[in-house]
Amino acid sequence: MSGKLLDFKAAGFTFVLFLILLLLPPFIPRFFVYILGLIYVTSLLAMSLNLLVGHGGMYQFHHAVFYGVGAYAVALILTKTSLPAWVAFIGGPILAALTGLIIGWFCVRLTRLYFGMLQISLCSLIWAIVYRWYKFTGGDDGIHGIPMPRFLSSLNSSYYFILIVLALSFFLLYLILKSPFGSTLQAIRDNPQRCEAVGINVRRHQLRAIVIGTFFAGIAGVLFVVLERSVFPDLLFWVLSLEIFIMCLLGGWFTFAGPMLGAAITVALRTFVGKYTEYWTLILGVLLILLIFFLPEGVMGYFLGVFKSRGKGMAERRNP
Amino acid sequence: MGFLPNIGPAEFLSQLLVGFSRAMILFTVCAGLSFVLGVLRVPNIAHGSLYMIGAFVTFSLSKSFGGSSGFWFALLLAPLVVAGISLVAERGLFRHLYQREHLMLLLFTFALALILGDLVKIFWGAEYRSVPAPDILKGSISILGASFPRYNLFLIFIGLLVAVALWLFVNRTKIGKISRAAAVDRDMVALLGINVSRVFAGAFVIGCCLAGLGGALVAPTVSITLGMDHTLIIEAFLIVTIGGLGNMWGALVGSLIFGVTQSLGVLIFPQFAIVFPFAAVVIVLLLRPKGLLKSVW
Amino acid sequence: MLQVEGVVKSFDDFLAVNEANLSVQKGEIVAVIGPNGAGKTTLFNLITGQLPRDRGRVVFKEEDISELPPYERCRRGIGRSFQIVNIFPRLTVFENVQVAVLSHQRKSSTLFRPAGNLAVVETGSLLESVGLSDKGKNVVGSLSHGDQKILEIAIALGNEPELLILDEPTAGMSPEETFATIELIKRLARTRGLTILFCEHDMDIVFSISQSIMVMHQGRTLIQGKPEEVRNNSEVQAAYLGGE
Repeated sequence: MSGKLLDFKAAGFTFVLFLILLLLPPFIPRFFVYILGLIYVTSLLAMSLNLLVGHGGMYQFHHAVFYGVGAYAVALILTKTSLPAWVAFIGGPILAALTGLIIGWFCVRLTRLYFGMLQISLCSLIWAIVYRWYKFTGGDDGIHGIPMPRFLSSLNSSYYFILIVLALSFFLLYLILKSPFGSTLQAIRDNPQRCEAVGINVRRHQLRAIVIGTFFAGIAGVLFVVLERSVFPDLLFWVLSLEIFIMCLLGGWFTFAGPMLGAAITVALRTFVGKYTEYWTLILGVLLILLIFFLPEGVMGYFLGVFKSRGKGMAERRNP
Repeated sequence: MGFLPNIGPAEFLSQLLVGFSRAMILFTVCAGLSFVLGVLRVPNIAHGSLYMIGAFVTFSLSKSFGGSSGFWFALLLAPLVVAGISLVAERGLFRHLYQREHLMLLLFTFALALILGDLVKIFWGAEYRSVPAPDILKGSISILGASFPRYNLFLIFIGLLVAVALWLFVNRTKIGKISRAAAVDRDMVALLGINVSRVFAGAFVIGCCLAGLGGALVAPTVSITLGMDHTLIIEAFLIVTIGGLGNMWGALVGSLIFGVTQSLGVLIFPQFAIVFPFAAVVIVLLLRPKGLLKSVW
Repeated sequence: MLQVEGVVKSFDDFLAVNEANLSVQKGEIVAVIGPNGAGKTTLFNLITGQLPRDRGRVVFKEEDISELPPYERCRRGIGRSFQIVNIFPRLTVFENVQVAVLSHQRKSSTLFRPAGNLAVVETGSLLESVGLSDKGKNVVGSLSHGDQKILEIAIALGNEPELLILDEPTAGMSPEETFATIELIKRLARTRGLTILFCEHDMDIVFSISQSIMVMHQGRTLIQGKPEEVRNNSEVQAAYLGGE
């Protein structure tokens, strides 16, 4: 494990960064506030996936659906019922986690590849139903103009809300990862057979992890609705699932905050490249190919590698 | 809403045929996907894009050749064009990744899909296109009181042709047998002195060519749009999964299940027609998680 | 304590274990020996539950555990080390053992307390008892092969088992390491009251520390008995000297 000193530095750095981000909105254009909000939402989604894939070793191939379920739950509660907003905000993650529990229960009995394939099929079914159920979910139009409570009426207040929820989720995910649950999860990733041999019920543990991961995906879905005030079926489409997978890869999936970096880079790129050309997908494809050929450890993995070898060099100079 | 209206035997038969013909297009595409999956052990996400390119190329070729025979030229040439594109991608980039983990190969196919998707947008724009069927295949025949579009009968015929041709290729030709061997044990094949990289190239190009053929075949039956790549690839992937990974007969079975459930779904609940095949896939995988037929590995 | 009765296991057409029988009394040190491919590791896998048996029974402390999954068998007091080093490659030595200790304390799913603060004393003392406490912070990749095999044993001990199954504990070790490991095993058996079941290829070790030896050949149990009986048994001699 990394030494205590690194933890203090990292914690301090994170806190300062959080403060800076919190104070930003009055000083930057509206558009940037929106983009940062989008980055926060996507970061949380990517980190929720990474809990399962990077730290849990599970083939969670269609994670976006749980995000979409959370978002649609909020949208539907706020537009079709007169329940208060907090019910919607809690309902989203709970419904997402419930979906995760049901789908996960079927999937954990299977080994990795078949886990992934069954999940793709179950989640695609949900997508198909959402996509076609015009009367209830708005079909491929989605739902727009979702009303928000008064304290979230402006972009800036939405920004603060999203950032604070992200920070809390970040903190909780960190605690979970450092807890016995987290270390057991990583042990299961590395050697499930050995875990069984030391008395761990691997399937149950994985199922619990899935519930947690999909819960946070649901939170991300809620935050998305707060930011965009609309939902559409693309939130549950396989392309998004693959994109968040790539964000984790890009950021480095054995690290904790790597997926955040991957999400930030992806969203930023899409926005700024998208300003100059409508063929941003082409650029993304090219960048992905470059990444595959030159940076397989992911961006954060690469930098951590550089950092570690420099640190080693310094240590060697101090103790020859 | 149209939930379970009275369905006569004529409508049923008619829809069944539609299902079969759609299944044949799916089979053509999925056989290619399955073949690549079996030999290279990678799901080719760009398969949908190549299918889409096949359709768009068919549009352009049949328009430029003109007339009824334009379609036949297009049907012949479009798969070759697609094969050419896949060859370029393979020799240029893909083959350098064969030593890497499967994840990298999969991501490459995704990157390729993204690039090809936008290239289609650049060349053809975002409008819907359509391709008229050739004259001899226009119209329908009436059998047993049900009307069967001639084009659908043609598709069924072609589908069976493709199935037979593939069977002959895999079981009777030397290249086919080598491909099958490489699917099961690539190291052994390498030890026998065979250039595994070339086998992979061949398998990839043939698989993609089939995707292009599928696109050419589907062109007269649907409106050709951007986004057909994304919807097709998820269907194809699910079909290959329920059929058994890498198993071409499995692709046939899966395609039939998918095509028929969808077309019968139109009779029962048209708004949710697409949900039926997805539900069928879920049921199959819950009962047989590894697919219906044996995986080729 | 442990009875294996008429256990059969085949893979497709290959009969790996064919009516094997084994009896282990509490406090004993029992060895299973046999030529390569005799089915020893498969038998161990059947006992700990990594493989389901086709026929036969495994009874532990008078309870039929034949249908139980591996983690349940472990929780009832069976610990196991593996022939090929089977540890957690990305964790440190300390964390490797800690996973097992946490599992034993049923704290594997504790969510909101840092793992670094839990089970520290127990893990530390365990590492000390096997002689690895100075290597606690090392990543396992940096350990020598011999140390990795000792770590294997330490992980197995994390669950405070009553029966410890060791699959070739000294494979690949130098003579000094082998001697040290055997002394360690003997000491652990004494201080923790362990019952030990192991398999080995080194006959000197087997005959020097075992109280009972079971001989396997082509998946069958040839004989189980005291070392002297086994040494003098003609079938055993034929199996080892004749054939493969």
